[in-house]
Amino acid sequence: MAYRRPPTKAQLRRQRMEALVNYPLDWLEERSGLVGGVRYFLFRKVPGDVNWMQTLGSAALTAFIVQAVTGVILAMYYKPTPNEAYRSIQNITDHVTLGWLVRGMHRWGASVFIILMFLHMGRVFLFGAYKYPRELNWIVGVLILVLGMMEGFTGYLLPWDQTAYWATVVGINLNGTAPFLGPFIAQFLRAGQEIGADTLTRFYSLHMMLIPGGIIALIGLHLYLVVRLGVTSPPWSKEAAGMALADEEPQPLRPGLTRPVPRGIAAARPEAGGSK
Amino acid sequence: MAAAPQRHAGVKPSRLEEARAQFARYKEDVKERGKPFYPYAMFHDTVMSLVVVSVIVGLAAIWKWTSYGPHHDGTHQGLLGPEYTAPADPGTTSFVPRPDWYFYFLFYLLRIFKWPESVFLGTVGVPTICLILLFALPFIDVRRERRLLHRPVAVVAAALTILSMAVLTWKGATAKEALASEVIADVPNWVKAEKLPQNAVPGARLFATAGCTACHTYLGTGSSNLGAPDLTQIGTRNLGIDFQIRHLKCPSCVVPGSPMPKFESLGEERLRQLAIFLEASKGKQ
Amino acid sequence: MEPAGPGQHESPPEPSHDEPHLPAPTLWPLGFAIGIVVVLVGLVVNPEIVSPIGGAIAIVFGFLWARAATAELRGHAVVVEPERRELRETEAGEVGAALGEEAGAPPARGERFPRSRFLEGATLGLGGLIGGIVTLPVAGFAVLPPFLGQRRHEVDLGPISDFPEGSWFIATFLTDPAEGEVSRRTAFVRNNGVFNNQPSFTIISNRCAHLGCPVQANGPTGAILGKKTITEHTKNGVVKLEPVVPAGFGCPCHGGQYDTEGNRTAGPPVRALDRYAFEIRNGRLILLGTYSVSHVDGTGAQARIHKYKLAGPGEHVDGPEQWLYPLNPPHQ
Repeated sequence: MAYRRPPTKAQLRRQRMEALVNYPLDWLEERSGLVGGVRYFLFRKVPGDVNWMQTLGSAALTAFIVQAVTGVILAMYYKPTPNEAYRSIQNITDHVTLGWLVRGMHRWGASVFIILMFLHMGRVFLFGAYKYPRELNWIVGVLILVLGMMEGFTGYLLPWDQTAYWATVVGINLNGTAPFLGPFIAQFLRAGQEIGADTLTRFYSLHMMLIPGGIIALIGLHLYLVVRLGVTSPPWSKEAAGMALADEEPQPLRPGLTRPVPRGIAAARPEAGGSK
Repeated sequence: MAAAPQRHAGVKPSRLEEARAQFARYKEDVKERGKPFYPYAMFHDTVMSLVVVSVIVGLAAIWKWTSYGPHHDGTHQGLLGPEYTAPADPGTTSFVPRPDWYFYFLFYLLRIFKWPESVFLGTVGVPTICLILLFALPFIDVRRERRLLHRPVAVVAAALTILSMAVLTWKGATAKEALASEVIADVPNWVKAEKLPQNAVPGARLFATAGCTACHTYLGTGSSNLGAPDLTQIGTRNLGIDFQIRHLKCPSCVVPGSPMPKFESLGEERLRQLAIFLEASKGKQ
Repeated sequence: MEPAGPGQHESPPEPSHDEPHLPAPTLWPLGFAIGIVVVLVGLVVNPEIVSPIGGAIAIVFGFLWARAATAELRGHAVVVEPERRELRETEAGEVGAALGEEAGAPPARGERFPRSRFLEGATLGLGGLIGGIVTLPVAGFAVLPPFLGQRRHEVDLGPISDFPEGSWFIATFLTDPAEGEVSRRTAFVRNNGVFNNQPSFTIISNRCAHLGCPVQANGPTGAILGKKTITEHTKNGVVKLEPVVPAGFGCPCHGGQYDTEGNRTAGPPVRALDRYAFEIRNGRLILLGTYSVSHVDGTGAQARIHKYKLAGPGEHVDGPEQWLYPLNPPHQ
């Protein structure tokens, strides 16, 4: 071992400071491994050519978080009974400090969330990012979209104004026209044969707990699959990761990009590259 | 180097094998040439999220400030609609229900399926088929190809989907009902535009309130969803007041096969007023 | 790797399983806790005598505890029993618990049903049982009430003298005043006069047969006709009767149109408008409940109404499409 100059006082102080800062992180890492997990999530490699369109998924997640936060706060003031609901919405909108802002964010955040999910889905379609091995993640994504629409439907009733009430009447009766099971689904949603107090609390519970719980779980699964399977390159990118363009490009850019013979099946790299 | 299993010349690897090889290549490429998610990609994500949050807060603010003022409450129609409408009234006879904008396509789909036999196609049939197609997409399109110009079917299907959704949403947003309370406000305009004589005005009011505009249009007012003729210049056909009254009483007796309902219940006096109005309608003067 | 520090050559390559332990637990804290308990009990029972005794116990044991805890610091040697653990003898051919999937001991010769298999089955079975115990009542709670004990309320619309023969009214009423505004409903009512010595009424629900939107009367109403709305106070609260001269009924949602008997004339409705069954009791018009109608032949008192059990909006009650809805949840 080479001779090392003893550390200066400043260096020692710096080391001690670092140790102090790192101590809680090390403590957490030793007991949970969470720090390593976050580190893996943050520093995992993504293709070098990812572009702005690929931010739509995280943007949708942001919109969902806005919905969750504002929703919890609205629940502090909202009263889910037919006699109180409308007045509590008036109260939130007109009297509670910044109530208009929180309710407005929740109402418009819902639209933004839905739009972003559709845009994100369009991006995935455009990139062909639902193909092997990401089929399952597409299905999970569609499930999140469906649950998001259900959130929109159940939340729409809660202000208990004319628009809300009649949109819900039609929505429930839509389900009622499904062959065979429809009338039962409608009566289940309505909590009886007519819309009443139980309908409102039922929608409130679905909107607040069951559906958001499902969405959160599915977002977790969605993200896990994204991390596990990686992010796709734009298909038009010249250096798209994993592209095999043998038939299209006579001049190979580099052996790895244009090899016609897939790696796992054919002989090892150099030989295969030479003999087409 | 260890000898990998040699592929026989002329034998194509299966689709799954190719896909697996490509994914292996993808992972290798990312490992070699990729960049860490943080901070490169995450920076873009963060900027985008900031835009999203700003848009949400901005919409909330516009909603509030354009629908709220010293003299009105949250039911005032601002740029983005009222903050709340009147309280729910299950017994209403004047309200026109409309869904939130992202259900407009479904709303208009229901109007398209206007035959009783086809109702469940619009309510559950078409949406269910669309949903199944959406779920099944990765198993319908199993080719490895991702470049747009090499996926003509997918691109055309996507374009058509977006186009039809846009058209349905637009039609749903602009779909109008011809309700007595709304149409009656147009009567003075009719009188002015068609230079209607004074004795035709009671008939015009009746025309506006009796549901005629549920099927017919008059100077652009009314619903043409059901395909009944435009009555803006019905008077130019000079059918005569007696004919008009007979026709209103029992349309199918005068014009065999006419789907128009009978308006006998309005009574002779009111039917005469209607007939005078119709005969006086000679188009825009 | 650099060679480790001194002591490396002393320890055998096989790691020893006797490791020095921390100081052995003492019983002093237990005595201290008892003392505190006695103090607390004494506060309730007898603060003068019992509490001081408890305090004394706590102080004595606390002192002993502190003494024992600081023994090491004060230089006294602490005798610690090393903990010993026998190394597990693994026989050749047997898979250790930590290595294999089959964690249980290998089945004894001749044993039909290995213990691991039993545990597996028992775990799954018990788990399923727990799931069932929790899920079934909860699911039943969520699903069954909407289908049980549904009933309809009678509505008193006031004396029939309010309804002149041949005139239409838009009647608005509460079906269940206890439930409040949410039970408000609207019906179109016409007195058809007396038929076979029985008063005849046409009472049409304003729920659209397409998807349940509020159907409106196509025709001039009270204000335009110059007639006043009648207000009756009945046991159902305020009932409003607004005069109207309808040429038919129209739906504001998807363009369904009906004639004055409630027959569909245009648009998507799958059947005629629902009607209310009624009864005349002591000269008052009582609504009993709604039923569905496929179509009506004739008009007014002579009408032949093709009645069906109440169905939801959008459900066909006749024709081949009725087989799409073979079962209906219990109503009324």
